[in-house]
Amino acid sequence: MKDRPISAPTRRDFLRWAAGGAASTTAFSALSSGPLFAAAAQGGGGYKALVVLYLAGGNDSFNLIVPTDSSAYNEYATSRQNLAVPLNDLLDIAPATSDGHTYGLHPAVPELRDLFDAGRLAISVNTGNLVRPVTRAEYQASSVALPPRLFSHNDQQAQSMRVRADDGGAIGWGGALADHQAYLNGVTSLSPSITVAGSTPMLTGAATQAYHLGTSGSVSLGGFNGNTGAAIQATFDALRGQGHTNLYQRQFAQTRAEAIELDGVISAALGAQTTLQTEFPAESKVSPQLKMVAKMIQAQATLGMERQVFFVRMGGFDTHAGQLEDQPVLYADISASVAAFQAAMAELLMENQVTLAVVSEFGRTLSSNGQGTDHGWGGHFLAVGGAVAGGDLYGTMPSFALEGADDAGSGRMIPSQGTDQFAATLARWFGVPDIELAVMFPNLGNFATNHLGFMG
Amino acid sequence: MEESVVESGSGGMPTVKELGWAAGLAVAAGCSAGGEDDVPEAAWWIQAGPGTDLPADEMDAARFLEAATFGVTADDMTGLQYAGFNAYLDHQRRVAPSLQRPALEAREAAGESIYQNQRQELWWRNAVRGEDQLRQRMAFALSEIFVVSDRSGALQNFAIGLAEYYDVLTRGALGSFRDLMSAVARSPIMGNYLSHLRNQKGDPVNHIRPDENFARELMQLFCIGLIELEPDGTPRLDGDGAEIPTYSQTDIEELSRVMTGWTYAGSANFKWGARDMIRPMEAWPDFHDDQAKTLLGGAVLPAGLTPEEDLEAALDVLFQHANVGPFIAFRLIQRIVTSTPAAGYVQRVAAVFADDGTGQRGNLEAVVRAILLDDEARTGHLTSPTTFGKLREPLVRMAGIWRTFGGAAASGHFRYWNPQNDFGQAALRSGSVFNFFYPTFEPPGLLQGAGLFGPEFQITTHTVITLTANEYYDRIYRAYPGFGNANEHTVTLRLDAELALADDPEALVDHLGLYLMAGQMSDDMRTALVAHVSAVAMDAGNKPDGMQRVLDTIYLIVTSPEGALQL
Repeated sequence: MKDRPISAPTRRDFLRWAAGGAASTTAFSALSSGPLFAAAAQGGGGYKALVVLYLAGGNDSFNLIVPTDSSAYNEYATSRQNLAVPLNDLLDIAPATSDGHTYGLHPAVPELRDLFDAGRLAISVNTGNLVRPVTRAEYQASSVALPPRLFSHNDQQAQSMRVRADDGGAIGWGGALADHQAYLNGVTSLSPSITVAGSTPMLTGAATQAYHLGTSGSVSLGGFNGNTGAAIQATFDALRGQGHTNLYQRQFAQTRAEAIELDGVISAALGAQTTLQTEFPAESKVSPQLKMVAKMIQAQATLGMERQVFFVRMGGFDTHAGQLEDQPVLYADISASVAAFQAAMAELLMENQVTLAVVSEFGRTLSSNGQGTDHGWGGHFLAVGGAVAGGDLYGTMPSFALEGADDAGSGRMIPSQGTDQFAATLARWFGVPDIELAVMFPNLGNFATNHLGFMG
Repeated sequence: MEESVVESGSGGMPTVKELGWAAGLAVAAGCSAGGEDDVPEAAWWIQAGPGTDLPADEMDAARFLEAATFGVTADDMTGLQYAGFNAYLDHQRRVAPSLQRPALEAREAAGESIYQNQRQELWWRNAVRGEDQLRQRMAFALSEIFVVSDRSGALQNFAIGLAEYYDVLTRGALGSFRDLMSAVARSPIMGNYLSHLRNQKGDPVNHIRPDENFARELMQLFCIGLIELEPDGTPRLDGDGAEIPTYSQTDIEELSRVMTGWTYAGSANFKWGARDMIRPMEAWPDFHDDQAKTLLGGAVLPAGLTPEEDLEAALDVLFQHANVGPFIAFRLIQRIVTSTPAAGYVQRVAAVFADDGTGQRGNLEAVVRAILLDDEARTGHLTSPTTFGKLREPLVRMAGIWRTFGGAAASGHFRYWNPQNDFGQAALRSGSVFNFFYPTFEPPGLLQGAGLFGPEFQITTHTVITLTANEYYDRIYRAYPGFGNANEHTVTLRLDAELALADDPEALVDHLGLYLMAGQMSDDMRTALVAHVSAVAMDAGNKPDGMQRVLDTIYLIVTSPEGALQL
């Protein structure tokens, strides 16, 4: 079982992305003139943060945005049966460009509707993991390259987080962006990529690895008090600093060292900030994470951060059963929490410098299993923030007919655009020059456009 | 070998000299000091008699017990070194299972409201005190494969149902894997968790299909996985060097049709009514798709089978799949011995899964025996010292601290209800059916660079690594005998054997090094610990004499990078 080259970063990956920083996990010393020059030429400089909100389990986003003109709605309702959102409940939106249909949002997301109306929320339509564009005929004939292990949670999650959907290494697009832009943060022990939701392939870089933060902030090592404490701490530090030969021991010692060193940095920086005035929803799965991200963004100057990638996650979207009860609760949480986060960014005068992306491993079947939906493929992603060219749909809405032009079977929608394109759109905004996008996303050249336009 | 028996007393448990050995001799000799009722049953190792397959030394014995149990005790050391590996395993097979549900039902009958909290108390009790340690360790490993979670809204209010699910795994932990497949598939807890409960046959007119959830995860996570495996667990490749999927989406849809027609036992209606979370689900033929199905590999289930026949026939097909042996062997080895087993190790265990020597397939008792006694398990730390081993799961380490030092609270309960807040894990409380961590998780950095798996590192975040150390700190420094702020729920450690060594720093460090890290302490670490202990006054910290030395040594070992590893 040791020989599995597919998921380890290749040497080529490493050389390609090591340019932005030194090879150690969190220390950055090398300032590469290449990306520095390129970013400057594109007007880089000034703080930017990308926040990825990951909807784990597979979001049934075909109920988030629903066609409201009668022919399209009827097609949708016929396919969705008991899971269809009633037409009269939908919140009308007016996309800036028309595709001939009208649309509404799920009734549980009035705040997202407001953000859309205000031009701060864009919808990336029917997006999903692809190696290259695929038609229904090509899918049925298996005549073109497909993402391996379609419809499997963990595989599709990993693919949606990585720079390619075809088992080509472990580099996540959050990690690649952090690698590329880390030089802007100068010499610091804090990684540009931070997860508030535990380990994630999204933030695996070649030169950078994620720092893990809790929703209550950093955690300090306790104990070591009284007149015996100093001696215990000294031996504790001596033991963790010894030269271990076993790789598992070394990995543990490294995590321990990072945790202790960075706790000092982060606790001090967070402690130096004024209290955020924005109220986040109290009963929320994801607001505690987003609030922590907001606090870290508030502390970016204290921490010396110019570029950051944050990862937050919300679970519960694997709605095989109980979808009618669960989906409105999930959507209401997203809507209120994202709105609160945007308000916090406004409070910090960071609206135009922070973009929040909402991504999931797959959409779900248009067809119902009676109680809910099963694993699908394409679905809608969102981008939210002041830099977003919002108020519009980007991409082609699929046919909602079962066995229609976009159906891979049972209403598993074949994506009309790739996760790579969505990520590359964010990468351009983050400071990656156009000419480097196809290097960062190796399959991007298989698509007609290397970005989707929602970041202007 | 009998000399070593007498020398190896330790921990909070009565030593063999105090209890087992003397009692054993007394019984063996047919004489007793008191009335017959006072004679304890002879210790298992006395009944077994001297063995020939003895551990090479006390470190070998402790390493074995770190894998086979939740924590090393003096009694187990004594018995193992006297009677040998196979006698120990034979004894473990015979010990009655320690269960959760009966105890919870008794407390409920006594008027207590039962929540998941009490279920966690029972998990700790059985892990720490159960005599069926091998079974408990296997049950926990199986609970990380056949995952259900009380974080599911459908399950959070059914603590006794979840306890029964864990009991199913416990009772079956050393039995037939095939039987376990049936029990899990028919469990109302699993039926809720992966939603095949109340799943009914399709309604093509209205485009309603059966739920695919259980069908998919049963194959992907519980028995065969996504790609075809060689007998040694490595991917089987086609002529182009590509991996071969084990099943298609169509195979999932066919299997999802098998998983129709099941609802709560005794329910008056298929779709609603009382929810029996204890008894196995029952089938309603009218809601079952009884048309023919073609499963993966082309196996056909003919039309007209009952729901029960359909289910068992489908499980037979999966059970016979060539992947099951290497798939389960790899996962169990990871939970018990090492994170990145060599292909040959997986292959040897998979072969025992395929045939236990009597022609039986899927004999888990034989499988775990093979895992524990394999050359790689016994000597991997010597032959592959840089890549062997596994990060200890914090739940296992915490239970081990209590087990080794005889931890007990005045209340009689292990009131540690939410270990996930400190450890990133708690029994039957995973964030998803993918468990707390993936078997193939490669920690970014050193281990990923070396191509090594490290599942436990997935929960060892910068936050959790510190929270875990802080929890150990509290459970050690605020739980010693005589601690002033103890309350009835404080799980107090028994440290008599350690205190007796406290004035001899080298002996204390060696003793705790044996019991907490199987003697796998480097010379550098030993030197640093001995120096530390020597510098701590016997009366330091306003504690009983020697206590500060003992507590420091325990804490420093369990938080050290070396002690974090089961080597």
